[in-house]
Amino acid sequence: MKHSIPMLLTVLAAFTGTARAKLSVVTTLADYAALAREIGGDHVDITSMAKPTEDPHFVDARPSFVVKLRSADILIEGGAELEVGWLPPLLQTARNPKLEAGAVGRVQAAEGIRLLDVPATLSRAAGDVHASGNPHFMVDPIIAKAVAAHIARAFAAADPANAASYATNEKKFEATIDAKLQDWGRALLPFRGQHLAAYHDDWLYFARRFGFDVDVFLEPKPGVPPSPSHLAEVIGKIKAEKIKAIIVEPYHNRKIAEKVASSTGAHVVEAAQYPDGLPNTATYVELIDVLVTRLTTALKN
Amino acid sequence: MHSSNSLSVFLTTILVSIRLQAAEPAASPSSNEEIHQQLLEMQQSIQEMQTHHQAELDALKKQIADQQSVIDSMKQGSPALPAPPTPPDSKVAPKDSTPAFPTTDASIVPESGGVLPPGNQSPGNQPPASPPAAGNMFPTTDSSVVANGAPATGPSPGLVPAPGLIGGGAPKGSYLNISFDAVVVGAASSDANLNTLEVGDHDPQQRGFNARNIELALDGAVDPYFEGFANIVFKLDNNNQTEVEVEEAFGQTTDLPFGLQAKAGQFFTQFGRINPTHPHTWDFVDAPLVQGLLLGPDGLRGVGAQIAWVIPVPFYSQAILALQNGQGGTGYSFRNPGDTGTFFERQTIDRQTDGLSDLVVTPRLEASYDLTSTQTILGGVSAAFGPNDTGYNTSTQIYGVDLFYKWKPADAEGGWPFVKWQSEAMYRRYEAGQGLDNTFPVAETFHDWGAYSQVVWGFHKGWAAGLRGDYMHMQTSDVTNDPQRQSRSRVSTDLTWYPSEFSKFRLQYNYDMLQSNAFLPSRDENSVFLMYEIALGAHGAHKF
Repeated sequence: MKHSIPMLLTVLAAFTGTARAKLSVVTTLADYAALAREIGGDHVDITSMAKPTEDPHFVDARPSFVVKLRSADILIEGGAELEVGWLPPLLQTARNPKLEAGAVGRVQAAEGIRLLDVPATLSRAAGDVHASGNPHFMVDPIIAKAVAAHIARAFAAADPANAASYATNEKKFEATIDAKLQDWGRALLPFRGQHLAAYHDDWLYFARRFGFDVDVFLEPKPGVPPSPSHLAEVIGKIKAEKIKAIIVEPYHNRKIAEKVASSTGAHVVEAAQYPDGLPNTATYVELIDVLVTRLTTALKN
Repeated sequence: MHSSNSLSVFLTTILVSIRLQAAEPAASPSSNEEIHQQLLEMQQSIQEMQTHHQAELDALKKQIADQQSVIDSMKQGSPALPAPPTPPDSKVAPKDSTPAFPTTDASIVPESGGVLPPGNQSPGNQPPASPPAAGNMFPTTDSSVVANGAPATGPSPGLVPAPGLIGGGAPKGSYLNISFDAVVVGAASSDANLNTLEVGDHDPQQRGFNARNIELALDGAVDPYFEGFANIVFKLDNNNQTEVEVEEAFGQTTDLPFGLQAKAGQFFTQFGRINPTHPHTWDFVDAPLVQGLLLGPDGLRGVGAQIAWVIPVPFYSQAILALQNGQGGTGYSFRNPGDTGTFFERQTIDRQTDGLSDLVVTPRLEASYDLTSTQTILGGVSAAFGPNDTGYNTSTQIYGVDLFYKWKPADAEGGWPFVKWQSEAMYRRYEAGQGLDNTFPVAETFHDWGAYSQVVWGFHKGWAAGLRGDYMHMQTSDVTNDPQRQSRSRVSTDLTWYPSEFSKFRLQYNYDMLQSNAFLPSRDENSVFLMYEIALGAHGAHKF
């Protein structure tokens, strides 16, 4: 008994006091994790809470996340209500002052980004709308650059010793995106102005960047499952607007999209908003590469 | 603007007076030529003065107008505000050209009809006609989407850009989040006395319609150190009279070090899995038997204080210790005088709080582990110790274990599909004394125990089916005749449909089997409930 208390303390110290050379970063979603990896390189340890294939609106607040958040130096979240259903109780239990709202360690990616579709009036009759605007902004590479810069600033503030490295990586990422934007722009140029259909209304930032118009949705309202009458209407619109592609994500009901596709002649494009949500898309650039390739393939037909 | 007007009036007055003086003839005219010359010179100098004053006046006006625009732009928390509030000088100065006094302000009107510099325009549906800056065919920047133009390499005082900049620019969140939740249950049962068949106070109490849980939840940050939460519940009794109860009202710390959190007020005791939760989060219409019969129809809750500590081990583990009064109906198995002044047939002694030993102490330890990336378990052990009112020196101990398992696949949509399995077992040792003035013939010690286990399968988006088994063993007694002390079991099955996250319908069937004891015959009862729930207001987050 005499020895048990000092021993317990030693064990606890071993768990908590391990000299942490690396910056511990937790992200809510896989896209922020991918950018954090670009910026942080070997200087950071990254954990993404939501799986890349999972509906980001409904992630289970698993207690293991509390453990990650408790010892994190940086939390990167969207901050535009996408994670409102699961992040708050985790932070409440993690009780990490470094991640308090307004602290250096709390990165809200949407800050400084002008979000689209900010509702003029708030009503849940409109479905699952977000008061701050549509939070699915990361698929616009220009916005991704801004978020990367934001992340780099946060990393530098939390870990000044490696600030130069973060700045270099950020510049590198920016240059890659700038060059890639030319490739992507060229590849999608022939399809500019085309209308597209999507399961959920989360491609508007991508569409704006590359000159598409995603205006037909299988969900009658965001988050509301497709009803037969709405699908009939969708099929009519797809035919009328000669829409060639229906974008679905890993967590959407693919069968419904297939049904609509087979009765309209449009193609189902399996897409993802998050790196690793599709095969061979570990990085942000790879993800957009695959999205552009899949879209051009579908639209060429 | 007012000050600039009065300033110009003042200056004009000076100018006019000078002009008047100049118009007067000189004192001693020695020669007309000379006078004429003098007049010309004077006129000239006056004109010079006039221009000088005018220039000064213009400069002042501009300065004032300029400051006003800065003030306006700072006042304006409009969606257009693109940059964090920085000192006025750098704020007003445009990025590229720098005239002394700006004629435009991008911080107020960001997208003024395509005046954005070339290469910064949103591509929209118009392909760029000629390659813009840097020989890029496609733009690589877009000032219309990224409001925060601060370069990454710059100093980062504005690490966190202007508050309220996300989206619409209106401040995010609010000082107080309000939500409202109403549950209505239509009930049919073979038992005319649903209020005794059902063990929870939020459960249906009569055949027909019931509204036993209409709650108003309030929460928000008190200050940088505390957050507050209140849950006010309105219940309609069988005569449609409204009962109001402060179910929870507490403050808790947000700023303690070492993973500690303290809480004080009226709150649900962290005993087991279901006790600390509100009925609208439950997977069945009614409370499990052990919950209602051992912890109490209202759940175990009370005024007190609690400390919680997230233990620094590599897996989630938390220790919680609460100290509560445990007096009255919400301290059911403790200092509860009973609705009619009796409990377990004994006339109760209304024991007041004299010291620490009169309080209910509730320690809990919980831990969680991810079995795989899609499967998680969360388990805990709890205990509650405190005196009870059936004797002068009688006490109660309740022990519980709980286990929760959840599976949700990696490509779940809207949280579906899923499987949840939840089980709790409890044991209560109840020292039943001889009551007030030792009027009851004997003192007894009851060893009561029970458990429930439930599986909920979310088989299709918006749909979930559940199955629950309940068992409650009450120690037999030849002297204590209390309908609550009947051993019993129950099987429940339900089907829930969620039209959205904020509403649900639930159809449930209960088959109750009550065993005979020295006083009561055995009986079986069938009940059907149809529940409808709506939730309004702040988006509640879901705990695991």
